[in-house]
Amino acid sequence: MSETELTRKASHWWQSEDARLLGGLWAVFTVLGVIFALIVPDHLMGRSASNTMTEVERTFTAFSVASAPVAAVVWALLVYSLWKWRRRGDWTPDDPDGPPLRGHGWATGLWMFASSALCLFLLVWGLAALSSVDSPATASTPLEIDVTGQQWIWTFSYPDNGGVESEDLYLPVNRPVVFRVTSDDVIHSFWVPAMGIKVDANPGMTTTTQTTPDRLGVYHVKCAELCGLLHADMETDAHVVSSADFDSWASAQGGSQ
Amino acid sequence: MTVAETYKTDPVKGGPDGGIMRRLNVGTGIAAGIILAFVAHRVVGHLADDHVHQVDVRATATMVGWAIGFMAGLGAFTGPFRWMVGKDLTHADELFLAGKDQGIGRYFRFTTDHKVVGIQYLVLTMVMLGAGGTMAMLIRTDLISPNSGFLGPQTYNSLVGLHGLTMILATIIMVTGPFGNFVVPLMIGARDMAFPRLNALSLWLLVAMLPVLYSAAFLGGIPMGWVGYTPIADQGPAGVDAYMVAILIFAVSTAVAGANITTTIVTMRARGMTWTRTPIFVYGVLASVVLALPAFPMFMAAEILLLVDRLMGGGFYVPNRGGQPWLYQNLFWLMGHPEVYVILIPAVAALMELTAVFARKPLYSFRVAVLSIIAIVGLSVTVWAHHMFASGWAPDLNGPFMLTTEMISIPTGGLFLVILGTLWRGRIWTTLPLMCTYAMLWNFIIGGITGIYLSDVPLDYQLHGSMFVTAHFHYTLMGAGLTGAIGAMAYWFPKMTGRMLGKTSGFVSFWLVQIGFNVTFLGMFMVGMEGQPRRVVHYDAAYHTGNLISTIGAYFIGTGMLILLYDVIASWHHGAVAPINPWGAKTLEWTVPNPVPLENFAVLPVVTEDAYGYGEPAEAEPAPVPARVGAGSDQGEGAMT
Repeated sequence: MSETELTRKASHWWQSEDARLLGGLWAVFTVLGVIFALIVPDHLMGRSASNTMTEVERTFTAFSVASAPVAAVVWALLVYSLWKWRRRGDWTPDDPDGPPLRGHGWATGLWMFASSALCLFLLVWGLAALSSVDSPATASTPLEIDVTGQQWIWTFSYPDNGGVESEDLYLPVNRPVVFRVTSDDVIHSFWVPAMGIKVDANPGMTTTTQTTPDRLGVYHVKCAELCGLLHADMETDAHVVSSADFDSWASAQGGSQ
Repeated sequence: MTVAETYKTDPVKGGPDGGIMRRLNVGTGIAAGIILAFVAHRVVGHLADDHVHQVDVRATATMVGWAIGFMAGLGAFTGPFRWMVGKDLTHADELFLAGKDQGIGRYFRFTTDHKVVGIQYLVLTMVMLGAGGTMAMLIRTDLISPNSGFLGPQTYNSLVGLHGLTMILATIIMVTGPFGNFVVPLMIGARDMAFPRLNALSLWLLVAMLPVLYSAAFLGGIPMGWVGYTPIADQGPAGVDAYMVAILIFAVSTAVAGANITTTIVTMRARGMTWTRTPIFVYGVLASVVLALPAFPMFMAAEILLLVDRLMGGGFYVPNRGGQPWLYQNLFWLMGHPEVYVILIPAVAALMELTAVFARKPLYSFRVAVLSIIAIVGLSVTVWAHHMFASGWAPDLNGPFMLTTEMISIPTGGLFLVILGTLWRGRIWTTLPLMCTYAMLWNFIIGGITGIYLSDVPLDYQLHGSMFVTAHFHYTLMGAGLTGAIGAMAYWFPKMTGRMLGKTSGFVSFWLVQIGFNVTFLGMFMVGMEGQPRRVVHYDAAYHTGNLISTIGAYFIGTGMLILLYDVIASWHHGAVAPINPWGAKTLEWTVPNPVPLENFAVLPVVTEDAYGYGEPAEAEPAPVPARVGAGSDQGEGAMT
């Protein structure tokens, strides 16, 4: 058989036909994967409305780009083995077997080293991103909002503004905000998809999450934990408004500034 | 001690052959189950006059009564009972229990032969996958448009939970059940499992469980999804009782099966089958059941606490009585993450086994395969709280759990290396089983990479609880796990049924299912990234495109699965008769005749090398003459000589 003999005759493994063609396939798949990674996630996740979401989208894109060469290795081998090494017709007991390769220390070692290095990269990146989204803001005093979930509405209370209560979320733009989240009955999950924040609302306990909204607009607040009959309807709006608009909204609700 | 002595049976004292056990079958089981359920319902109804918990107490008692009555009526307790009263089973009774000369009837009895149990598991798995798949079709049909109104919210929420639970239970048993029971004893050169009665017990407990599980649909449904989170489970209707009792029965079944399979593999391998000569599929099954042994008691404990909550006002999970919902989540995921690997490892190991056969090459680096499986088993019990990153429990532990989770990608990569290395320069015979290996690699790389996003805490804050997660775990459990099980089924079908699967319908089904699968769940990734939560009966119009794509893909999967089902039934009935070793494989199950005789081997095999010697010169020295042990001989002294 031509290609296996060719492989054996080549003086160095990287000069073999297998290696060159596979390398080419791998490069093509990697490029396609990277292009996909740079365009599609950003597009699907929409425009970020907070510093947290910017970080989330950056991480998503970075992981996708880093994954592209890994997936490309698998895809290239799948395509190549089906294309080059496929048997025509059914096997019969007289057919010769494949080469008895029982493992190759160098190839195994390289594989393990590469996957460990990638894993380390993920970990370091993840810890850095985690400390960035979890660290309390220092620039200005954060706005504190008490969020209460109950079957099946959200209530937002503003202790800094005289305890104004609202079923819509209003946030001043570019001011850090801390949400203190709890529940009156079962577990809900407070999620603002455009801002990349989510934390469960647990009865009897308070959990926190924080972000800094940085774009004006109206976004969704959703419940991300199955909470009973009308779980799908447990939605409301998050209005990110200018600081002045926020103050006038708060006083219109009867609160103080 | 020689092998022959090992098989000597103790002389049996007392008791004549026969007795009531020969009249028991699934019919008497159902009758006894219904009677005991009715009795339990009436008796407990009189005893429990506490009005708050009465409904739940009665429902639970009825279901437990059914399960015990069914097992007793089936004859599951006959052996232990006769042993206790000093009239153990005679040899003729044991042979009857093993289903000797009973034809089709043995499949409807408490039969101990591992091959009967394997076939029963296969049928049971297909029934459960069919039920879960039908529910999936209903769910996808409801989501075909933003406000289809096809299902009401209560029906929808229950369906989502029952679909999830059905599929999880089915996928847990789909490889270790049918193939772990039918194939593993043959593969290791044993006459049966270590504990044949426990084997039958594990199977029939699952049969007893199914009516309990689906009674939930008629008892108000389950409002809390398959995970059964509290405190919403505390406030749910009697359907939640059905959920709890079903889990308890399943956990007992898993424990019994796990102990049995572990003992079989550790103690009953043929002479000469050292650990380095043991086929990789046997390792996969062993890893799966060993991991299930500590995992499912966690689930059982979680449900027992819930049972105390609901039936006796315990309040373990109710905050205003000092309870803690996070306790449930920790117990649940201590089961829930190992369970993912309980499902995946044997499916991938089956594909490794058959990849070597169809590439006509030795398994690439057996050592890496074994070490990877061991590493995954070890790491998988340390990652559970990555399901709780967004729950608010112990934020300081998010970093460490991210570390352990990401470390699993290293041994998982080892599994990829073994399969890709085996395909390398192989003489690829693209049968349906091998195509499943290709599909698994494609799907699992997507499932694995998306898992890395979810292991990253800040990304998980965004993606947790969204359709992205749903798509991710379908890629792993269905795209990799179920595809592996289909490959295993296609591979061992000739040995299990004596007939070949149809080629054309197999390939049509394969492409419909795999293309449909990728369309369905790529659409689901899309809506998840756009921000659609899981488990919603309707959604914003903005997510319509992705959902429509998903539903169309789902119909392709459904059609493909129906074609596969037709292929299985038709081939089983009148397929081409299979030769003893249609694939030219080297493992021991392909050395026994079709249909496999009652005690498998006329002469117990002796193993002198591993099963992967493709393309290697035959051993210079002839294999030593095996010890002669006659099949079915109670003296065990070579009836063959």
